[in-house]
Amino acid sequence: MAEVSLRGIRKSYGNLEVVHGVDLDIASGEFVVFVGPSGCGKSTLLRMIAGLEPISGGEISIGGRVVNDVPSPQRGIAMVFQSYALYPHMSVYDNMAFGLKLAKTPKEEVDTRVREAARILQIEDYLDRMPKALSGGQRQRVAIGRAIVRNPQVFLFDEPLSNLDASLRAQTRIEIAKLHETLDATMIYVTHDQVEAMTLADRIVVLNAGRIEQVGTPLELYRNPVNTFVAGFIANQRMNFLDVTLDANRMLTNSPKLRQLIEGRAGVRTIGIRPEHVTLASPERADLTGTLAVIEQFGEYALAYVEIGTGDLMTIKLDGAPDLQLHQPIHMAIPSEALHLFDEAGRALR
Amino acid sequence: MKNQANPWLTSNLLVLGLGMLPAMLLVGALLYFTAWAFAFSFTDLALVGRKAVEWSWVGFENYERLFTRRGFLESLWTTVIFVFFSAIVGQSVLGFLLAAALRGSASSIRSVVEVCIMLGWLLPDIVAAFLWSATTNQTGLINQLIVVPLGFPPINLINDYALPVVTIANIWKGTAWSYLLFSAALDSISREVVEAAKVDGATPFQRIWLVMLPIIRPHIATNMLFITIWTFTYFPLIFAMTGGGPGTQTQTLAVYLYLQSFSRGNLGYGSAISVAMLVIVGVLSLFYLRLLREPK
Ligand SMILES: Nc1ncnc2c1ncn2[C@@H]1O[C@H](COP(=O)(O)OP(=O)(O)OP(=O)(O)O)[C@@H](O)[C@H]1O
Ligand SMILES: [Mg+2]
Repeated sequence: MAEVSLRGIRKSYGNLEVVHGVDLDIASGEFVVFVGPSGCGKSTLLRMIAGLEPISGGEISIGGRVVNDVPSPQRGIAMVFQSYALYPHMSVYDNMAFGLKLAKTPKEEVDTRVREAARILQIEDYLDRMPKALSGGQRQRVAIGRAIVRNPQVFLFDEPLSNLDASLRAQTRIEIAKLHETLDATMIYVTHDQVEAMTLADRIVVLNAGRIEQVGTPLELYRNPVNTFVAGFIANQRMNFLDVTLDANRMLTNSPKLRQLIEGRAGVRTIGIRPEHVTLASPERADLTGTLAVIEQFGEYALAYVEIGTGDLMTIKLDGAPDLQLHQPIHMAIPSEALHLFDEAGRALR
Repeated sequence: MKNQANPWLTSNLLVLGLGMLPAMLLVGALLYFTAWAFAFSFTDLALVGRKAVEWSWVGFENYERLFTRRGFLESLWTTVIFVFFSAIVGQSVLGFLLAAALRGSASSIRSVVEVCIMLGWLLPDIVAAFLWSATTNQTGLINQLIVVPLGFPPINLINDYALPVVTIANIWKGTAWSYLLFSAALDSISREVVEAAKVDGATPFQRIWLVMLPIIRPHIATNMLFITIWTFTYFPLIFAMTGGGPGTQTQTLAVYLYLQSFSRGNLGYGSAISVAMLVIVGVLSLFYLRLLREPK
């Protein structure tokens, strides 16, 4: 267990700077998730912490010790790679024992630690198999096992679940959460899947184009996104953004409640409404009215895409299996406390 | 079901026969020449003279001569040394080291080195032989540029150190193949696997020895197979540089075979030598093919 701190971390490839000064403090034992769109620098940041990528600027410390020039094996980290990165020519046992053997750990201790990790991950039966003879999920466990035996202070995961199918991903996600509970180690986890981020993280770090957009607990990010990027990123269904300056947006300005809200605040440019916060209402109580363009039924809930005269479709999430007809009017109520207001630059107004 | 892929071809036996003709001719020719060499290795056929027409069967006499007369065993030994140092040690190791070293380096450096070693490979053997002879003889470039300016008397390298010079020339000529093969093999290793080894605490040497080499073991075996066979039967460069001399110092089996068959005219004996070479290369190939297999 150790805390990790990043001070003004920069990374350039030649003249191209891809990480522009990241400051972050990760507490000991915390589970931190880096999320962001593809190419935003998540992996680069993680690889710099791992010592696989030289740092162009700033300072990384692990457990209070600056590790900028410390080689990876001595940083007290273990990394789980997206492609599992198992040694194809070694058995599962040897894969897990490799690091310990290199460190000249006594044979009995290697054996104890490998078997202990195998027990935790329930891969004891495969110890003699070659990686080729394992399924994707089993390989991922071996990769995690290889990290566990190193007994690291900090675990680093780079999109460890992205090569698994949906059900296995959900299952492994839960196992990783349990693992964090059991090992009580600091974990840094990279993903571009916001579900993984929401469910696993103590704190989420939202990255965009090499910068941190916001850091906070999953609920903080869900409730109080600081800008449209975070608001759009953190959610199962993407937030609806309505541009209030568009004159075509008659539907919107026809709503007295929304209009009052907008006019009450200077500088509002965009309104954000989460699909799950919209409910159906009677015509006279509606804040917003549109016509149903598409409906997707999931049984447990339905997503309705409503034409509200802005060009974009507004998504609303309705419980159960609502019986709605296409091209019929939809009357929607929007609680004002569920509205997010953003200014010209996309920053949240409070 | 089986023949659906190309019903037109298979439904017409004549077309099928015509299509297979080139392949059958080739296989036939290969069998014919091998059988010819095998058959005449039991005769005293000569290139010229009376025995060129009135040859007779001599049983295993030619094969006995392989082991009882001077020449064959010495040449075999020379060949083994030549193959070991120029192909297995020289080309393979050098090719691998170059491939490993250039993997991470800037593409400009890589291109320059690649062009240089490809030049050696692409240059015709006879031209290469001439260049090497001219460079290493008494008045050659090495003496003029290095030995004499340092105050030593000129050395006739190609005469005094014939086998080493020929070996080095062959390394220079053949490294490109191994380099290309190993480059491709190393590129196929996942970057993350190497990084995992790095995180696990492997030194650069351990990463190569314990991770990368075992992963590309099939490529190594393939490479060994090819270059051993090629070098074992390699003829033009050595013959053009030294003609097998001085004495018999650079007389590899291929050169010995040529000299026996066409200078001495002992076609029967020459055939026996070629059959023996075939057997040796065959046994080596089996050995390498075993290496190619997955370990249990
Ligand atoms: N070796 C490199 N040379 C030049 N640019 C690079 C190199 N590696 C990464 N980059 C750039 O750095 C940026 C960040 O890359 P990174 O791999 O960290 O993205 P990521 O957030 O992990 O994306 P993904 O979700 O697709 O894995 C990208 O724009 C990428 O093009
Ligand atoms: Mg990545």
